[in-house]
Amino acid sequence: MAKVTLFPQACKGMEDCGICATVCPKELFVSSGEMNEAGYVPPRLTAPQECTGCESCMLSCPDMAIVVVKEKSEKAS
Amino acid sequence: MSLAAHPLRKYTRPHVKKTTTCPGCGNGVVAQAILWAIDELNREEGLTMDDFVFVSGIGCSAWIPSPLFAADTLHTTHGRPIAFATGVKLGLPQQKVLVASGDGDLAAIGGNHLIHAARRNIDLTVVMVNNGIYGMTGGQTAPTTPRGLHTITSPYGTMEPEFNVAAMVAAAGAPYVARWTTYHPRQLKRAIKKGIQKQGFAFIEAISQCPVQYGRVSKLGRATAILEHFKNSSVKLAKAKDMSEAELAGKITVGEFCDRQAPELASQWSALRDALGKEQG
Amino acid sequence: MKAAARLKPGTHFIEGNLALAEGAIAAGCRFMAGYPITPASEIPNRLSQLLPTVGGVFLQTEDEIAAVCSAIGASWAGLKAMTATSGPGISLMQENIGLAASTETPLVIVDVMRFGPSTGVPSVGLAGDVVQVARGSHGDYQIIALCPESPQEMYDHMIRAFNLAERFRCPVFVLPDGFIGHMREQVVIPPDQEIELAQRKIAASGTTPLERQDFLDPEVAPMPVFGRGLQAHVTSSCHNSQGMRNLTDPEVMHTYATMPMQKILRKRDQIVEVAADYAPGDLVIVAYGTVARSARAAAQTARAQGLAVGTLCLKTLWPFPDQEVAAAAQQARAVLVLENNTGQMLPYIKAEAATHCPVQFLGPRLLGQIQEPAAVLARVKEMLS
Repeated sequence: MAKVTLFPQACKGMEDCGICATVCPKELFVSSGEMNEAGYVPPRLTAPQECTGCESCMLSCPDMAIVVVKEKSEKAS
Repeated sequence: MSLAAHPLRKYTRPHVKKTTTCPGCGNGVVAQAILWAIDELNREEGLTMDDFVFVSGIGCSAWIPSPLFAADTLHTTHGRPIAFATGVKLGLPQQKVLVASGDGDLAAIGGNHLIHAARRNIDLTVVMVNNGIYGMTGGQTAPTTPRGLHTITSPYGTMEPEFNVAAMVAAAGAPYVARWTTYHPRQLKRAIKKGIQKQGFAFIEAISQCPVQYGRVSKLGRATAILEHFKNSSVKLAKAKDMSEAELAGKITVGEFCDRQAPELASQWSALRDALGKEQG
Repeated sequence: MKAAARLKPGTHFIEGNLALAEGAIAAGCRFMAGYPITPASEIPNRLSQLLPTVGGVFLQTEDEIAAVCSAIGASWAGLKAMTATSGPGISLMQENIGLAASTETPLVIVDVMRFGPSTGVPSVGLAGDVVQVARGSHGDYQIIALCPESPQEMYDHMIRAFNLAERFRCPVFVLPDGFIGHMREQVVIPPDQEIELAQRKIAASGTTPLERQDFLDPEVAPMPVFGRGLQAHVTSSCHNSQGMRNLTDPEVMHTYATMPMQKILRKRDQIVEVAADYAPGDLVIVAYGTVARSARAAAQTARAQGLAVGTLCLKTLWPFPDQEVAAAAQQARAVLVLENNTGQMLPYIKAEAATHCPVQFLGPRLLGQIQEPAAVLARVKEMLS
């Protein structure tokens, strides 16, 4: 399990960028359909619970708009 | 638990809320790779942004550290950041000096400084963002543009072969040289981290996407299409060794070109001063 | 390993370039970057010996562009830094001289001027760069330039150049021609404790750029030197007083270009130096550098012959000594301008003098052969007859 936080105001949009959607192995990123203050349309997560915490979206986002924090499973803790 | 801010924001100037790059630009990926590398060094070795001086030249990628990074930043003239950084490092040998700039800046107009810094082996970490094009000025041919590409200043196709910059820097004597693409952010981060730790001239070439200019002239289009191209064209150096020239045409060789030890300039100056100081009593 | 030693205080008979190198060390210079070039090479030759013995660094660069850039970098690292070259090297450095002016970087640039244009005649001195050092980089900017006329002044002007660079945070040129660079003459070296040295003001620690004024202060802002946790933001782009890039606000653009000029021009009285030796009604010979020596020799002979002849020798070329030239012309019967070139400073001198009295120019009969005092005297007599 992992927690994904999006910073939509920092995002430059699914239309022109969309790197998060390309690199996500689970294809969890889709357009949110809502413009941010700069006029870009950031993504939303379709099924956050399916995130594996691979961090590809976080490392590949050019605008520091995504953070992935791995959550320790109950077994491990 | 929801985060109030991106963890890398502690390394950026608080008043700089946005980057100046176009949507999908690889500069942001490289900026993050640099900051993640520093973040790891912070946790492992206690390095902070106060231990760094960032130097850049002219071009889109020269704006990676300036004004974003919350550290001493020196934004200079076209092609010259390595020359400025050399003076900074010799004056402040205890500081980590990192140069971030583009292929036009470092390999075209500034090519001679790059060669000589590698030869001198001065302790700099140079991150060259290579997007194969002049982006800021509108899509002109760069020395790194693939042969045959129709750019704004090569409307009939470039006739010149592209510059293998990483191989050239390794040949000039740099102790650490690596090349990755923005499709490889983890490897890029590791290479930058290794470069910062290396006592000597470290050169990391980051093949990067310019969706606006390169995307247009290459007809690859969007950032994601260029990243897909990087993914499909990248060949590890170890594998490339066994491939023919024909097989390697159009490929991007990635990996570490060299990782070795060599006498470093700033520390040799410190040693010389110590020796002469002792001799004088 | 035998460490080189500085010349001891006292009287020496040495070449101008060597006196200059000794002056640089005495001034506190701890970084020099340079590229070999005639007739300036004795300066890097000597400083490469001396700098490591005083805790400094000498860097021989791949070209003059790298030389000036690394000296600017070293200055931001907190060192008193310099480079030395001749005309071709200055031509290469120009872009980054503009950077040093606009980023308000203390820097000393020595130009041992030679016969140009182009490769020209390296070993023949000619004051060929007196305008290009002030106007050769693009845009509007202001530098300081000192013009020694003897090996002693090569030493003295280096101390003054570093002090001015530190005080005004700007590039300061020392402009001997090749004749002064290679001239051997008596040089008196004072003990270090008798030399007054200026140090740049440094921004307060524990602050960030938005809490400070790092640039564009008419009284010269404290410098946010690197390596002190000051998060300095230095850019060659147009910037505001905090150093932050601004390419949209016309007020910022105007201030960015003009304030680094104003901080120098407003204090021009503390910078400009001339040697004035004339009386009302004299024919005043205006000269600088090597040919100031011809001017004095000619004036001396003329006076011995009962002629009313004086001299105004310019020790500072930039800021241009406009008031001093105008003041001399107001009292003069005529002005004769001597230069070791075809008249590069003449338009500036005329602009101040020609409304007050007749102005004539005398260049070398053959360019590269400086004016003989006899030739100067002949022209003086012609003008007075």
